[in-house]
Amino acid sequence: MKRILTAVTAAALTIGASGTAIAGKAEDTLNIVWERELENVDSYFNTAREGIIVNRMTWDNLLYRDPQTMDYVPLIAKSYEWVDDTTLKFELKEGLTFHNGEKLDADDVVFTYNWVADPANGVKTQQNVSWIDSAEKLGPYSVQINLKEPFPAALEFVSGAIPIYPEEYYTEVGPDGMGLKPVGSGPYMISNVEPGREIVWKKFDDYMKDSPKGQPQIGTIIQRTIPERNTQIAELLAGKADWMWRVPADQADRLSSSGKVTIVNEQTFRIGYITLDSSGVTGDTPLKDVRVRQAINYAIDREAIVEALVRGKSEVVNAACFPSQFGCTDDVTTYEYDPEKAKALLAEAGYPDGFSIDFYAYRNRDYAEAMMGFLGEAGIKANLNYLKYATLRDKIRAKEVPMGFMTWGSYSINDVSAITSHFFKHGSDDLALDDKVKALLDRGDTTVDSAVREAAYKEALQIIADQAYWVPLWSYNTNYAFSNDLNFTPSADEIPRFFTASWK
Amino acid sequence: MTIAIDDKGARPGLPSANQITGPTPGQQLRKRIFGHYGLLIGAGILGLIFLMALSAPFLAPHDPYAQSLLARVKPPVWLGGSWENMLGTDVLGRDYLSRLMYGAQISLLIGFAAAFISGVIGTAMGVAAGYFGGKVDLVVTFLITVRLSMPVVLVALAVVALVGGSLEVVIAVLGLLLWDRYAVVMRSATMQIRQMDYVASARAVGCSTSRILLTEIMPNIVNNLIVVATLEMAHAILLEAALSFLGMGVQPPLPSWGLMVAEGKDYILFEPWLITIPGVALFMMVLAINLMGDGIRDVTAPENRN
Amino acid sequence: MLIYTIKRFFLAILVALTVSVITFSLNQLSGDPAIAMAGETASDSDIEYIRKLYGFDRPVHEQYLSWVARAAQGDLGQSFYFRIPVTDLLAERLPVSMILGVSAITFAIVLSVPLGVLAAMRPNSWLDRFALGLSVVGQAMPSFWLALMLIVLLGVMFPILPMTGSDSWQNFVMPTIVLGYYATPAIMRLTRAGMLEVLGSDYIRTARAKGLKRHTILFKHALRNAVIPVVSLAAVQFGFMLGGSIVIESIFALHGAGYLAWESIGRLDLPVVQAIVLVFSLFYIVLTFLSDLLNAWLDPRIRVS
Repeated sequence: MKRILTAVTAAALTIGASGTAIAGKAEDTLNIVWERELENVDSYFNTAREGIIVNRMTWDNLLYRDPQTMDYVPLIAKSYEWVDDTTLKFELKEGLTFHNGEKLDADDVVFTYNWVADPANGVKTQQNVSWIDSAEKLGPYSVQINLKEPFPAALEFVSGAIPIYPEEYYTEVGPDGMGLKPVGSGPYMISNVEPGREIVWKKFDDYMKDSPKGQPQIGTIIQRTIPERNTQIAELLAGKADWMWRVPADQADRLSSSGKVTIVNEQTFRIGYITLDSSGVTGDTPLKDVRVRQAINYAIDREAIVEALVRGKSEVVNAACFPSQFGCTDDVTTYEYDPEKAKALLAEAGYPDGFSIDFYAYRNRDYAEAMMGFLGEAGIKANLNYLKYATLRDKIRAKEVPMGFMTWGSYSINDVSAITSHFFKHGSDDLALDDKVKALLDRGDTTVDSAVREAAYKEALQIIADQAYWVPLWSYNTNYAFSNDLNFTPSADEIPRFFTASWK
Repeated sequence: MTIAIDDKGARPGLPSANQITGPTPGQQLRKRIFGHYGLLIGAGILGLIFLMALSAPFLAPHDPYAQSLLARVKPPVWLGGSWENMLGTDVLGRDYLSRLMYGAQISLLIGFAAAFISGVIGTAMGVAAGYFGGKVDLVVTFLITVRLSMPVVLVALAVVALVGGSLEVVIAVLGLLLWDRYAVVMRSATMQIRQMDYVASARAVGCSTSRILLTEIMPNIVNNLIVVATLEMAHAILLEAALSFLGMGVQPPLPSWGLMVAEGKDYILFEPWLITIPGVALFMMVLAINLMGDGIRDVTAPENRN
Repeated sequence: MLIYTIKRFFLAILVALTVSVITFSLNQLSGDPAIAMAGETASDSDIEYIRKLYGFDRPVHEQYLSWVARAAQGDLGQSFYFRIPVTDLLAERLPVSMILGVSAITFAIVLSVPLGVLAAMRPNSWLDRFALGLSVVGQAMPSFWLALMLIVLLGVMFPILPMTGSDSWQNFVMPTIVLGYYATPAIMRLTRAGMLEVLGSDYIRTARAKGLKRHTILFKHALRNAVIPVVSLAAVQFGFMLGGSIVIESIFALHGAGYLAWESIGRLDLPVVQAIVLVFSLFYIVLTFLSDLLNAWLDPRIRVS
């Protein structure tokens, strides 16, 4: 019976998907689906990438980072200026309103910055706001933001993680109200939220006319959460959904060759890496020996894994950062695939017959298995522990993970401080605990002098590579699959911008 | 297997204690065994799977762990593949036939071990409750009720998620999960046997409790035990597959059949053979074990057949 | 009957309390919930702050007592993840699971009881074998596979049913079939076995000898007795369906309580996990309590023993 149904499946996918995909276009409604239950649409109280998508659609920031040029361009602010290392001044555009009609002026900006900067208000990702000391109103459309200390990456957060909220409304309803009936000033206004299940947006007709984000085109956008990827694909083929993302490479190929939907592949800021316990905080493992860590680097054929499994626009990375990030350089010690050298190094370190070690992972089980295969060829027996992300993160912080396959998306922040500094400044995720690296990163993080920063980061990255504290793996890519009726352009920062989408 | 993991019920066809009768003459039994098609088919299939598991080290055409990223997702021979990899290769280019053969070992091991652990726990509790009655019975009945009223699958998932899955953890969790049916059946079976004359006379002669349990009670409930054990074994194998599906089962690269099904899930729409092959294998194994269980029950308790 | 009821009632309470202890102890297994709540980028002081705020630093028994006390008043705490009261979340998700559970068990009973009766009336006929085959397949087929096949068939190829969501009755058709089918074998085989036993018993033979009509014997005498174990099993099955439908809920994007529990495990959102385990257990305890009473009413012998 299974064989028959198998044949039916194949037939159904090709027959059934014909020509029904006009439902979304006919009703001017874009149906998007994704896997994740978003905990809260208030972007100060979620940590998911989907939250960033919602944020960009619903709210505006003072500045906007152009996804193509990566430049900061005015959005709510008309202009900005670094007064000194710790003072930022903004002049605001006039005549802007929120979705509920409330006027957007300096009061709202000052309120938002001061509110999020106060730890008592419990913004979930404190790192996004902890650099803010205070905000002051200089005039009805003029604002000054004071930093605690020099923080060169500040504009990343001004343009990214800190949307401007309406003072009157937010004071009245608080985070809980904002989560259920959000009000912003972005290109789309939210008309309905069912937590974790559905979000409905309507085009905001009074949206800022000269916005660098462009003008919203599509009338209604409905997001639904569908946890099962196969179901997403079925809905897409049946025309019930118009857009999905994160289609695995093999399935993307098949969908693409069917011609029923459009598949576009794009880079992301996420990189994969293996963290190695070089300091011995998790116990006495062979990883304390630099030769062993180098051997692991040599043993894994990252190129082959990228070509066979990761695919798309992904590339092997050699430094502990994403190549386009400020301060990142690939000009460090690299470890080409060389199983013989790996074995020689292991023998030199006193493990001619290899050793056995616990290996943790939380996603891409196939990549992890492939790496284990390569390690096995060099004599290293990696015992996989595949856990849920939250559990694995806790285990790493509890110093129970000698070797773990992790990934990091840097919150799409185009600056090395969002990744290298996060992991190598003796924080809870740091297994290397290298004082020199920390000092270098500190220097880079607290000056606005680009040349000094670049030099400091480069030296730090070089030490990390020489010492093989990590095995940097590859950058990730995303396959977007969407209706042939839809114009949609993904961007390298992995933030789908539906306000730039339109029907063909 | 099914993902709607079932821990309460759904073990149909279990014998109730009153289905056993006294010993049957061997000849009659043999006749019944060979007249029972279900039992024969079940035993045949299971025998083949056993053979496959045992011969894997000699007959498997390839190393089940040797990956080849350049030769991944090759179709089986009847879908245009080559004889080199008769059943094709998996996502990492490992030979599917070899993995299937080694996977039989793992799945059978899980089935046996889990059924054994839960059998020891459940039988001990059931026999104790049935034989001693009174407070012991009360405590055991209470434990069974508590066990049945917890959505144990959720609890087990939570435990595995927090502790991390592995072959040992999965066997232990399943073993600790599936004892209730043994306890229920053994309890009522023991209760019945206990009232038999020969037990009473053994007691009158002054036999020790342990001796009565071992020589009088156990031989007479062993039929029931075997039937429950076969069904729990099938159940354990299916549960492991379900756990694997949720990413909480045996850890790769061990090729359990459940894990192979789970790894093929993403391909169900486009490369369905990746899931069909281990799926059919799993289906056959569970079917065979169930047929065996039903057959043993029928053969040892013939009046219940019709 | 009254004494029996009271006895059962106290047993139910005792079981409920034991379950609550086990449920609570999940908390102790999970490492540190404060870390989970604080999120990816939390500093050590953030974590410490949360630990104090939620009382994770208090002694275990104190935490348990306050948890039970609040649960008894209907306050199951706040979801770490959604930042809304767990009761609100359950109010939204439980009905979906309930509807699915009720419709699936109904489907299973409607399909399997008649089939079981027919199979018992003609043992070893083709009908009997068909019923057996159906149940064996149901037991060994992966439910996610059946679910996806139905989606392809009725959602993509012949688009007559919605594939996801829970807005109308049509949304529940496919999940009901999948989940219900899984419960069918057990109920069918139990019905068959029960009917066989009853049909072979003395009083049915007597009834036959008296010359009663066939369907009177079948429905008035036989089925009534054969159905007693089926009632218990159905209650058990229903309890399981509420909790065990994780994958079905996720495939059909039903957003019910089973899927919520599974996701919450992954997010270490323990108040939600605990609440769902507790609610499911209580639900089961109530169900078995009621089915015990129903059985006692159906079969007076039970009341006495």
